[in-house]
Amino acid sequence: MHHLLVFNIIDQIRTLGWPGFWSLLRNGIVSGSLLALIALGYTMVYGILQLLNFAHGDIYMVGAFIGYGVLQAFGGAEMASFPIVPLIIIMFAVAMVGSGVLGVAIERVAYKPLRNAPRIAPLISALGVLFFLESSVQLLTNSAHVLYEGVYLGGNYPSTFGPLLNSVFTVDGIPFTTVDTLVVLAAVALMVMLVWLVYRTRFGKAMRAVAFDREAAAMMGIDVDRVISMTFFIGSVLAGAAGVMYGLYIGDTSFTLGFQYGLLAFTAAVVGGIGSIPGAMLGGLLVGLFQNFATGYVGGQWSDIVVFGILIGFLIIRPNGILGSKAIQKV
Amino acid sequence: MLKKVGLVALLASLLSVVVATTAWGSAKAPANAGAVAAKSVKCGTKVTIGVAYPETGPAATLGTPQWDWANFAKKTWNKSHKLKLAFVRGDTQLAGNNPQAVQVAHAFASNGKILAVSGPAGSQEMEDTASVWKGANLGPVSGSETRVALTRALPGTPRETTPGYFFRTVPNDGQQGDNVATFIHKKLKKTNVRIIDDEEAYSQGLSLQVKNDLQKVGVTVTTDHISQQNPDYNSVIAAIPGNTQLVYIPWQVPAMAQQFFTQLRANGDHQIVMGSDGTDDPSTFKGAGSYVSGFPVQTNAPALKSFKKAHGGDPETFGLPTYTSVMVNATALQMACNAGHGKTTRAAVRKDVAKVKLSKAVSLLGFPVVFLKGNHGKFQGNGDMGGTAAFGIYKIQPNGSYSRVG
Repeated sequence: MHHLLVFNIIDQIRTLGWPGFWSLLRNGIVSGSLLALIALGYTMVYGILQLLNFAHGDIYMVGAFIGYGVLQAFGGAEMASFPIVPLIIIMFAVAMVGSGVLGVAIERVAYKPLRNAPRIAPLISALGVLFFLESSVQLLTNSAHVLYEGVYLGGNYPSTFGPLLNSVFTVDGIPFTTVDTLVVLAAVALMVMLVWLVYRTRFGKAMRAVAFDREAAAMMGIDVDRVISMTFFIGSVLAGAAGVMYGLYIGDTSFTLGFQYGLLAFTAAVVGGIGSIPGAMLGGLLVGLFQNFATGYVGGQWSDIVVFGILIGFLIIRPNGILGSKAIQKV
Repeated sequence: MLKKVGLVALLASLLSVVVATTAWGSAKAPANAGAVAAKSVKCGTKVTIGVAYPETGPAATLGTPQWDWANFAKKTWNKSHKLKLAFVRGDTQLAGNNPQAVQVAHAFASNGKILAVSGPAGSQEMEDTASVWKGANLGPVSGSETRVALTRALPGTPRETTPGYFFRTVPNDGQQGDNVATFIHKKLKKTNVRIIDDEEAYSQGLSLQVKNDLQKVGVTVTTDHISQQNPDYNSVIAAIPGNTQLVYIPWQVPAMAQQFFTQLRANGDHQIVMGSDGTDDPSTFKGAGSYVSGFPVQTNAPALKSFKKAHGGDPETFGLPTYTSVMVNATALQMACNAGHGKTTRAAVRKDVAKVKLSKAVSLLGFPVVFLKGNHGKFQGNGDMGGTAAFGIYKIQPNGSYSRVG
């Protein structure tokens, strides 16, 4: 059985050749960039509150739906007459703000009242919010799958794709399209801005202070509640952006989207080292690559086994993840 | 961190134990089951049908059209009959969560008002609940369970339900798979086929059927899998061998088929895409040049037009056989209540289900409904529809409309 699997993998590597490798690498980088953006939300909230905000994946899902709503308001990909660049900017802006506001609302309603409760309480509250959001969207959308069909934007639906599928550059004949490049560059830009915010601004310093010692930060005059709310806002804004990127890159959006991607992004945050911003980015990229290479070379049924196998492996061998620091036990 | 992950794992384990324990407990027949099963019920002006379908969970997207069509059938029936229908609904959740289906079966079994059942939705659910239905003297009529073994013993696999205790208003996988394989091989003359299932029982059963049929006639078949939860198919597409001529996707969500088609073309691949009845939805799966197997639908029927109008232009045809299953149950209830002079039993209703005959105009399926009493052909058995019931093959035109080609 094992020999058979190994032979199959070798056979598949040979069959797909270099073009297949580049395709899988491209797909891994693009989906890894999306996962990294979502993972940042997990890691930021964990860094500040030591809370695993399981509802974060569903904020991403809501962001994808908001982006879809904006697209439909302009006629949908089938007949959007509005210029494509401003349309995409509006989709991003509305989804990011909407998701950010949702993130803050969740923090205020479901987590803030539990700030001094035992750690298990906000964790259960997070699971509650996850199911609340998922079921609400299910009811609102009547369980429907909606399709962005973003690749047709600016094209002629259904016969001609739009400029999002134009090739920016090719490697061994494999095109890296506008949408691939847009997703990766937008993700990198947002991550760079986040790093700048956290490590180069006064607010970032306040965030780090709250993460290090909440009580001491409060005594030093930092508005801890505001910092926490802003952290939720920023994390959710990134998730909203990832939702629109997902819509443009993939498109099939349904109420279950947040659970699967949330789980993968959480895995990415743990693999990278939860609480570490560069770790979340690295983890996202690695999970995206592992998932896509496993799908391509081993088979679609193996991708989850590989990704979650890695999670278990990391928890056993390196519980703090690749870039996570060892927590110091205060005595 | 580890402690928290451990805690979550512990909670999940506890939840599983609770669910499993509940299911185990419910696997035993309730104390009043025998009495309820044999009870004579006054028909009065309203009779009750249990509708079992995935109301929540990842498969809710399939359950929604079923519920919509069931309600439409109720409304249609109640408009023109003195004996009105009422529903009790049960959320089976599908997607591998069979303890939920067992719970629903027991809830229906011990509810004395329920005289007939429409559903459940998944073949695996029927397999797991068959003994409960039998003990309760109920013969569910499913609008979406297509596994052959539910109605017909296969080599090495016994029949999974007792004849007379299960009926369906969809042709089965054997009929569909055979038709699809013959079409691919003989009409399209393809010799290299990729089959991608979605890891669900329906999809895997159909995949296997088509794969076996194609390999028997010398067609080269390669396979892969996708998860219903992950709609990024780029790497699955990258793994398709270059000499593949046709990709068969027996999936259950039309939007997934359209998404796959778009991504395939966006990746510059030009293989023909062929979907199954689960993807048969002209308002969603519009990939020009693709094929879909599906049961014929009376597209010109005023009922279908009226349903479509009431649902934002979406015909939701996946749920249509559930309409037919409610009509079958309603007709059987009427027959049993008439014969019993205003009183009936579940056994009487169940026996009358086997005798129901619906015209093409009433079934909306594109063929009349009549149930087989015994085996027929290679795949059909007692509880399957006989006569001209079969799947058709449709080609998707550039304007998105479906035209029958096989």
